[in-house]
Amino acid sequence: MVTLEFHDPSGVIAVKQSHAPRIASLAGKRVGFVSNEQWQAYRMLPLLKQLLEADFPGIEVLPIDAFPQGNAVIGSEETAALVKQSGVDAVLIGNAA
Amino acid sequence: MTNAVAGLGLAPDAAMVTFPIAMFLPGSDISPVEARKQEFYDGLTRWRSAFAGNGASEPPMIRVQASSVEHAFARANDMMLARRFSDGLPLWPPTRERVDWILRGAAQPRRRELGAFPPRGGVTTVESCAIALAMAGGRPEYLPVLMAAVEAFLDEESGSEQLQAASGSAFPVVIVNGPLGAQIRLNAGFGCLGPDPQRPAGASIGRALRLLQQNLGGALPGVGTMANYGGMRYTNVVFAEDEANLPAGWPAHGVERHSFAPGQSSISLAFANGVTNIRRRGAKKETPEEDALQGMYRMADFMRVPNMPGLAGYEHGTPGILMLPGVVAKTMAGLGWTKASIREFLWEHSRIPAEHLRRAGCPAWIEIDASKVVRESIDLDPWPITASPDNFVIVVAGGGHPTNSYWLQGYSPGVVGRTIELPPAFDRLLADAERDLGPR
Repeated sequence: MVTLEFHDPSGVIAVKQSHAPRIASLAGKRVGFVSNEQWQAYRMLPLLKQLLEADFPGIEVLPIDAFPQGNAVIGSEETAALVKQSGVDAVLIGNAA
Repeated sequence: MTNAVAGLGLAPDAAMVTFPIAMFLPGSDISPVEARKQEFYDGLTRWRSAFAGNGASEPPMIRVQASSVEHAFARANDMMLARRFSDGLPLWPPTRERVDWILRGAAQPRRRELGAFPPRGGVTTVESCAIALAMAGGRPEYLPVLMAAVEAFLDEESGSEQLQAASGSAFPVVIVNGPLGAQIRLNAGFGCLGPDPQRPAGASIGRALRLLQQNLGGALPGVGTMANYGGMRYTNVVFAEDEANLPAGWPAHGVERHSFAPGQSSISLAFANGVTNIRRRGAKKETPEEDALQGMYRMADFMRVPNMPGLAGYEHGTPGILMLPGVVAKTMAGLGWTKASIREFLWEHSRIPAEHLRRAGCPAWIEIDASKVVRESIDLDPWPITASPDNFVIVVAGGGHPTNSYWLQGYSPGVVGRTIELPPAFDRLLADAERDLGPR
């Protein structure tokens, strides 16, 4: 019997931070959108805004363009800072394809 | 997307709602958004990561057993396919012995970290490069070139984080300058972008880089990379500039683009997403001057397409890499052409009339570009395909035949250079290669 032992080439992933904690409920919360304006985001995200506002009493959903939009800027530290400053409880990000 | 999340240092999953691509196209039916609205709500409220802990533990060695060496080799290859480590061609199982042998080419300790391979964020070490090179059938003397290429790839300036996942099928192009290319049998001449048993180094170096892209970077087709076609990805492109045939006064690419010292072994990495032959030589009774000029027009005309790949590197990268055979370079130099004057000619004659941009819908791409230089270029008519002539990469490489030139269409935010660091006993590795591979 021949045994062949070799390295796993997929290596190691270093997890350095946790995902943000989820909120208990969307009712009465402040929610924002970060949009790259691509892949029909200009249609889908406003639809989601309507749905959230209809389904959760007291929710405040910021306008889709409340934060900078576009692939070139949504990943920036500046955009992240603006999101934090806005005091939102949760953020939806779209659209990828 | 999970790759990108992992690449940020988060656990490799995320609260996502995914739909078939059809819903993301113009005029689509977006009613599934409402039908699945609860998934969005759950993502904000109930979702939990499936990964606990820091995820940084070393994966265990893989073991196969079989009745013979041949069967063990086959089982190992089957397993690497099943685990999505393979590129579909036979691989050399990266055993300890094989990887240790490759590491004789390392100038740095095996555990030294080079960075996180984007987008998945696999921790990239000297050892992980050696594992990939072993799998790709490489040799120790190739490792210094691979290490330099990986360092350049991981440089943010290269754009690899986006290009690894993007649909535009970018592949890295590694140009080697200095004496090392010839020493390790890296091709600069006939067939330098393809297989060559006489000069085999580029195939396994480029294949190893691809395996790293896939296995550490997570660029699995249709899952981690949306590259529609993925051309040139078996081996990427790794070749040497034919410095022996550079005309007098023409600087080597590494000297010209990266200001490396003449004679310094180095690599230069850019991304391309197209490869094509452009006929260069005339066919009848043209004079040498006409032959050169007509060939230049054919090249410039080919580049004058409203296809927009050059936007990625408009300001700091490259619209592409033009490969000229040494015999052509020498003829053109004899007529007074320099690398700089060729660039000026190509820049001027590849400009695209604004009307051609408009009818092809290009202004929208220019308007949404992240670069202010790109956005402001929209007023230029005819529109230059790159911000500066200096962005064109011109290298002397290819067989000693004057009929053809080659154009690697750039898709490259940057052109990143690195010098190559050799281990102390490198001459011994070259001697071993002479022994193993026979006379040149």
